[in-house]
Amino acid sequence: MKVVVCVKQIPDPADPGALDPETRTLKRDVKLILDESDSYGVEMGLQLVDNAGGGEVTLVSMAPNNEQSGLRTALAMGAASATLISDTELIGSDALTTAKVLAAAIKDQEPDLVIAGSESSDGYTGTVPEMIAAVLDLPSVTAAKSIEVGGDAIQVQRQTDAGYDVVDCPLPAVISVTAGVVEPRYPSFKGIMAAKSKPLDEKSSADLGFAADAVGWAGSGQEIVDVAEAPQREAGEVIEDDGEAHLKIVEFLENLKVI
Amino acid sequence: MDLRLSDEQQMIVETVRRYVAEEIVPLEADLDPDAGALAPDDFDRLVDKTKEMGFYGLDIPEEFGGPGLDTTTRALMAIEMSQHRAGLYNPCYGTFGGAGLAQLYEATDEQKEKYLYPTLRGEKKGCFALTEPSGGSDPARAIQTKGHEDGDQWVLNGSKLYISGADKADFALVFARTSDDPGRNGVTAFLVDTDTSGFNVRRVVHTLRSTHYATEISFDEMRVSKDQILGELNRGFAIANDRLSRQRIPYAAGCLGAAIKAQEMAIEWAKSRETFGSVLAEKQAVQWMIVDNEIDIRHARYCILEAAQKADRGERFRTEAAMAKLVASEASGRVVDRAMQIHGGLGMTKDLPLERWYRELRIRRVGEGPSEVQRLIMAREILGGSFK
Repeated sequence: MKVVVCVKQIPDPADPGALDPETRTLKRDVKLILDESDSYGVEMGLQLVDNAGGGEVTLVSMAPNNEQSGLRTALAMGAASATLISDTELIGSDALTTAKVLAAAIKDQEPDLVIAGSESSDGYTGTVPEMIAAVLDLPSVTAAKSIEVGGDAIQVQRQTDAGYDVVDCPLPAVISVTAGVVEPRYPSFKGIMAAKSKPLDEKSSADLGFAADAVGWAGSGQEIVDVAEAPQREAGEVIEDDGEAHLKIVEFLENLKVI
Repeated sequence: MDLRLSDEQQMIVETVRRYVAEEIVPLEADLDPDAGALAPDDFDRLVDKTKEMGFYGLDIPEEFGGPGLDTTTRALMAIEMSQHRAGLYNPCYGTFGGAGLAQLYEATDEQKEKYLYPTLRGEKKGCFALTEPSGGSDPARAIQTKGHEDGDQWVLNGSKLYISGADKADFALVFARTSDDPGRNGVTAFLVDTDTSGFNVRRVVHTLRSTHYATEISFDEMRVSKDQILGELNRGFAIANDRLSRQRIPYAAGCLGAAIKAQEMAIEWAKSRETFGSVLAEKQAVQWMIVDNEIDIRHARYCILEAAQKADRGERFRTEAAMAKLVASEASGRVVDRAMQIHGGLGMTKDLPLERWYRELRIRRVGEGPSEVQRLIMAREILGGSFK
């Protein structure tokens, strides 16, 4: 089974990030790491390949500055190889452009399955996986919490507010994976030492057939016109325990329809 | 000196950091503040995990089945592994495995079969019995435990103090004077099973570590066969010197890890705690404490990495290892002390790990050779061996 996993390399959330005042986008001229939300996709892909008894997981990533460390982390987890699309023309690409570029890199690999995280931890558009599916003209299932392969199709448990849906989907397909549904494995010592020698193919947008004005700021159909501080969270309701507090809490939760 | 980490080292550091954050810290939250062990089920589960990761038995040399880490990588891991409440003396609660006593790697094949390999498999525990009531920093002269030959046996008499784990150990490495030479050339190391007649644990000795204790042991006409001698007769101090110097580097790195975490906590608290209309971080008195912490942390880090890199290049690193141990243990104590000051009353409580680190870092200035002995080692190296 051949699985392509899309991974994003993002500024370390542990470090204080900064917005570029001109573009109002996150500054990315710092060291980038594997987006934690993508580690679930990598793990899911590795498990599917293990269960299938053969095949491999390959990675596809787009990054502005030839950053490889996040990809190396996913290679150390067990992915077989990676493709990195990186050049300065790509800076400023919006979600659709990103999806087109990733789709172009995925297409040549003819995978059985494409996996991506539901949304990145820096941009949070949550749209790229479905856009990739649209560009590649493949079926797509979002918010997968489990995937079972059976012949030329998969059965996906799709997370919903009320529980989960069971969705049958033919292969090849693009699946987005919800964070937290599997436990990403730790890279092993051997995996870490071997990661550097695994194939990592670097490509530019031009290599994939994109003109300079089709990607980056020039090719983007969107502009960030304003950035505002998130509003402060409002103070919660304090229930004093006068002996009836438990009833008031139950009533409060019932009103929220959580119980 | 190049302080940058290789890609592999960076990944190993990130892996251990994640392991501490995801596996250790959540379990620790439910333990007694002075606990030194995980629940057996949790311990076994995590050992399976570190074995799967290929990191179990970190300090075991590659030829004995260990992962074969260089000293720098091992030090970098130690910096991460100690960044939790029990991290100084129980880094990751031992889930990365132990290596046994360094001296056992110099043992005969028979001794290795009997002591080293069972230790590596976790089937036997050893203890290190060197210090005596008469002293520990200059053990070569302080040792009064005596051995005399009787046929094909040695008979030992004497006592040892501040010995960790003797009451739970299966065997002890006992140093005894076996000749008239009053110095290091008259001391022999013996491997002694703790169920040998004459081996007595006399009492436990409580220390700054609340739930941990040391022991006092005595030897009363304890008979040990000659094949229990480790190394050569009267050459007990010549064993494993290189390994022991090397061990000072991760020891120093463990101190640094606690300091790094304490500084992280101090910064977070200083940025959020308001007094007199502004956060602590806006007050110069606090800013300077944070800066002094940073200076101490970087100083210790440079010394540790310099020692480790020299060791890895096969260069002489005795001075550097001693300096790393001295600087890291003292600097980390200061960092934790300042972090407690910044936290005020909260810093004194067992709600935070600071007070435990504060107590345990005090021991680190004495354990594994006190600061004064580290200075002595450096003085000999700097001035030459003739100045004693």
